[in-house]
Amino acid sequence: MLRLIGWRLLQLPLILLVIYTITFMLAWLIPGNPLEKPEGRRPPAEIVQAMESRYDFDNPMTFYFEYLGGITGAHWIANGAQGPVIDFGPSLRHENWTVNEILVSQLPVSIVLGLSAIMLACVIGILAGVLGSLRPGSWIDLVTLLIALVGISLPAFVTGTVLLVIFAVSLDLVPVGGWGGFSHILLPAIALSLPFAAYIARLVRTGMLEELQSDHVRTARAKGLPERVVIFKHALKNAFLPVLSYLGPATAAAMTGSFVVEKVFAVPGIGTHFVDAVLGKDLTLITGVVLVYSALLVLLNLVVDVLYQWADPRIKLG
Amino acid sequence: MIRQLPLILLLPALLVLVVWLDEPAPPADFTWSTSNDVFTLDPQRMSYITDMRIGSSLYEGLVRFDSEHGTFNPAAAASWNTSPDGLTWTFHLRPDGLWSDGMPVTANDFAWSWMRLLTPDTAADYSGLFFSIHGAEDCWKARTRQLEQFKNTDFDSEEAREAEAQRLWSEYEQQFANDVGIKVVDDHTLQIQLDRPVPWLLDLLAFAPASPVYRPAVEGWPKTDTAIPWHQRDMPTWNERELVELDPETGRLFQDHRWARPGRLIGNGPYILETWRYKRDLRLTVSPTWRDRDSIACRSITKRTIEDPNTAVLAFESGALDWLNGVNVDYRVDMIRQQQDGQRRDIHVVPAFATDFFSFNCRPTLPGDRFNPFADAAVRRAFTLAVDRDAIVKHVTRMNEPVATTLVPRGSIDGYESPRGLGLDPERAREELASAGWSDRNGDGLIENEQGELFPVTTLLYTTNTPRFKRMSIALREQWESALGIRIELVGKGSKFYRNDLREGDFMIARGTWYGDYGDPTTFLDLCRTGDGNNDRGFSEPEVDAALNAAAVETDPERRFKMLADVEQRLFTEDLPLIPICQVVDVHMYDPHRVSGLSAHPRQIQHLWHIAVEAPSGTERIAAP
Repeated sequence: MLRLIGWRLLQLPLILLVIYTITFMLAWLIPGNPLEKPEGRRPPAEIVQAMESRYDFDNPMTFYFEYLGGITGAHWIANGAQGPVIDFGPSLRHENWTVNEILVSQLPVSIVLGLSAIMLACVIGILAGVLGSLRPGSWIDLVTLLIALVGISLPAFVTGTVLLVIFAVSLDLVPVGGWGGFSHILLPAIALSLPFAAYIARLVRTGMLEELQSDHVRTARAKGLPERVVIFKHALKNAFLPVLSYLGPATAAAMTGSFVVEKVFAVPGIGTHFVDAVLGKDLTLITGVVLVYSALLVLLNLVVDVLYQWADPRIKLG
Repeated sequence: MIRQLPLILLLPALLVLVVWLDEPAPPADFTWSTSNDVFTLDPQRMSYITDMRIGSSLYEGLVRFDSEHGTFNPAAAASWNTSPDGLTWTFHLRPDGLWSDGMPVTANDFAWSWMRLLTPDTAADYSGLFFSIHGAEDCWKARTRQLEQFKNTDFDSEEAREAEAQRLWSEYEQQFANDVGIKVVDDHTLQIQLDRPVPWLLDLLAFAPASPVYRPAVEGWPKTDTAIPWHQRDMPTWNERELVELDPETGRLFQDHRWARPGRLIGNGPYILETWRYKRDLRLTVSPTWRDRDSIACRSITKRTIEDPNTAVLAFESGALDWLNGVNVDYRVDMIRQQQDGQRRDIHVVPAFATDFFSFNCRPTLPGDRFNPFADAAVRRAFTLAVDRDAIVKHVTRMNEPVATTLVPRGSIDGYESPRGLGLDPERAREELASAGWSDRNGDGLIENEQGELFPVTTLLYTTNTPRFKRMSIALREQWESALGIRIELVGKGSKFYRNDLREGDFMIARGTWYGDYGDPTTFLDLCRTGDGNNDRGFSEPEVDAALNAAAVETDPERRFKMLADVEQRLFTEDLPLIPICQVVDVHMYDPHRVSGLSAHPRQIQHLWHIAVEAPSGTERIAAP
């Protein structure tokens, strides 16, 4: 187990380096200049030139290595441990902020929202899945399947807007958009959780249907165990394994891939940067966000692998 | 399962804690929202309208625009006078002006801030507007040369590099003080010397980039308790200034933007910055040193950032916003209709100081030496004559914007009468094309030249950021194809790509919008100058340049406006570098029975400290973060 963790952690910097290089190359190819506005008055050519040299924009190789020095901590060591250890540099478009500051203020928001959504998705998904699997073909099963279908197919800007109109504008129960306090989290968490809940429900239902037919469940029932114990202790434990492996990437996706939900509910998270920073060619912000996301993804996958082994000791990893 | 319960509960408990710690602040007296966060609070670097609105609340320039009368009121300056030739302006500062840390505002603050504005190192978008100040442009060029020279010099050591950068900067500072026409006569008297008369100078001085900033705060000087103003103190060394440095690589002055943060930012305006959370909210509270602090109705103001236009409207509907600046949802047309029918009163359409148009590429050839039919003014006139603007504003944008046949928005500048350009006349359009050698010679409905070559398929470039321009472009394609017998190909691109194509001159016809910066026709007409940085069309007509130059030295304001109107008339009846379509309108939401003090003037300069909000009766307000 420890070998597995150690090995994965050793791989992490290498993976990030490859991702950095690819991201950098793609981002560099975006036409235009991040220091220039998309509309309105153009700054004089000398200004653009001066800014370009300030940010090493005139030479991709210099920029690549300078920036690499910042994000690996090499600059920090060279400068005698001054400033941030990992320095993602200034945001090129929001010049009052550094990418570090943006990440520090917005990543927690995305993480809280993502985790809330995943927890909600687990509760809804498992309940719906178990209910549906008990009497396949019954109306309960059909209703849960239908809801799951809606959850997967409807885009978040539809469900989000419907939730806003009903609960925030008509019923006036929660505020429209913004962040801070439970009332602000509720709707975006529900909207974000729906597709995940739907997927989990289907995973659980399929797993449960199979498990309920299996020998050990028949044995458990033959022993005279109460149905509750049979379902939750014997069947669900095994049916949950595919959910567990899905939870890793799902959590990462919920924490950072909630672009639409963040937009619709005006949540100040980092999801929006995946689109806005690319459109604005904000090189430093793109790189910062992509690297943090990649690191999260790798780490979450590791956590899932560890949990997997803990849940089912027969599985050998590493 | 029971044993694992604490572990399972740990995560939700942590979440609860995080959320609980993030409880929102109580609602401000006035809350508004825009779709973008403020980009910068460094006034010299500002260029977005929202930045400038916040900027004019934090800082006070010499004068302020009076939206009601279209004139300028005293602000940091109590009075001013002009020499008869209009070249020397003397400003007398009010003696009681204070920075938010209690220090007096002096003429030195303005002189230093304007040097900041006019220094290439600051890279201010708007510095060029101030080049009519005597010596400013020469000094700018001298500094640019210095930096060029620094870049090309080899140094033996880092110390030599640093020393040279510092020497060059002192040299530049000295040159600026000696040569540029900004003179501190005494602590409360400031003199500006111009190279040519600038009738709109007050407009420029009311502009956020001309606001004063407080040097010790901007440069991060060491804290002292002294009551001596900064210009009488010993200058701190470069190492002692926390927030500026001379970049050893390029020799440029580099500003750390953290000075413009809550707690650090010092201004001389009605409000101070209380909090600013990126893409979330920004909160202003009344400045403790503002002279009329008791007269301000809204003690606190929150500006939220809501990017999604639909969410913004819902937030307004729920009562969380007092003012929604910019309503960009598709159904706003229906909302406006409801307003006209008397079913609502909170949506307001305000004509802006801006014009939507379509640009022709006027360069002799297209990139790759391809033939450019639009190099011929007759072809440009023909395309213009075939545009039905009324149909566009009625049926395409459906906003009934005031149509425009010229560039300067009608009625936006006192005393300037914008002439009439070319209207709809398909008959004449075909004649113009025939005069340029294009007509349907073989009866296939498409036009050819004398050699029988078809008119090139014309690309029409639009931006995809809003559906507005796509719809306009589709309408134009239909109008042109049916009236002129040509083929149009639509090309939609993202803003960055579009901007790139404009700069490279890689387009045939492209959409455009221009917002005027100051209350003078030249803020629009200068777009048609040869070599202007914003002349995307590559339009060049020596007679137009000469006429604009002649108007620039005319001292009689009435005659000057007449001369400019003649240039505009000529541009939009003969040259047509672009096709004006309509004046841009801004759509806002606020309840006029509750909120007062918002201006409907096209310039859209809002003085936030004039706003007053009456508490709504009956309903309780929803807490907004």
